[in-house]
Amino acid sequence: MVVSHFTALVLFSFLVSVVFGVLSKNTPRERALYGAKVFGVFVGIALLLGWIMYPAP
Amino acid sequence: MANKVVQETFSGHAQPKMSTLVRLCAAAWLVPGLGHLLLGRKWRGLILFATIVVMFLMGIAMQGEFFSTSSGSYLQTLGYFGELGVGVAMPVASFFGYAGGAPLFICADYGTAYLVAAGMLNVLAILDVYDIAMGRKP
Repeated sequence: MVVSHFTALVLFSFLVSVVFGVLSKNTPRERALYGAKVFGVFVGIALLLGWIMYPAP
Repeated sequence: MANKVVQETFSGHAQPKMSTLVRLCAAAWLVPGLGHLLLGRKWRGLILFATIVVMFLMGIAMQGEFFSTSSGSYLQTLGYFGELGVGVAMPVASFFGYAGGAPLFICADYGTAYLVAAGMLNVLAILDVYDIAMGRKP
């Protein structure tokens, strides 16, 4: 299976976020919110670091 | 068996037996989500099973590398223990002919990250099973 770096990043973030949400919180609503937050932070920080490193040779 | 384990672990405030704890943690290690299933957390167990197994299978599909302890590299040894966390999935994949990855494949590094992460997530699931069995978590 060949995937782009971004696709691999999004899939990885999604799967890890699901596990973090399930293990960290107790109610379905809390799990969904926490999972979504972790997913957003994963992807957001990766994009931010990508842009910061963009000028680097 | 599920009811028996739940009775043993949640009968009042009594601590569960050591053998019960070991059995639960071993089950959680061997098959992701099985420990939660034995504790009566059916949905949590199923979600963990699906997520961790999908992650592992994607790592396989991307030709991720199975590390070994024989290389002498500390990082590879750490990677080996990380992947070991996923339980019987590694031997099963080897049994069905997975040769341990193709390092020159374009997505092999992503696949290796998926394999190690699947193992580490299962370690977190094992710790969660332990906490639930000890009565520290609902």
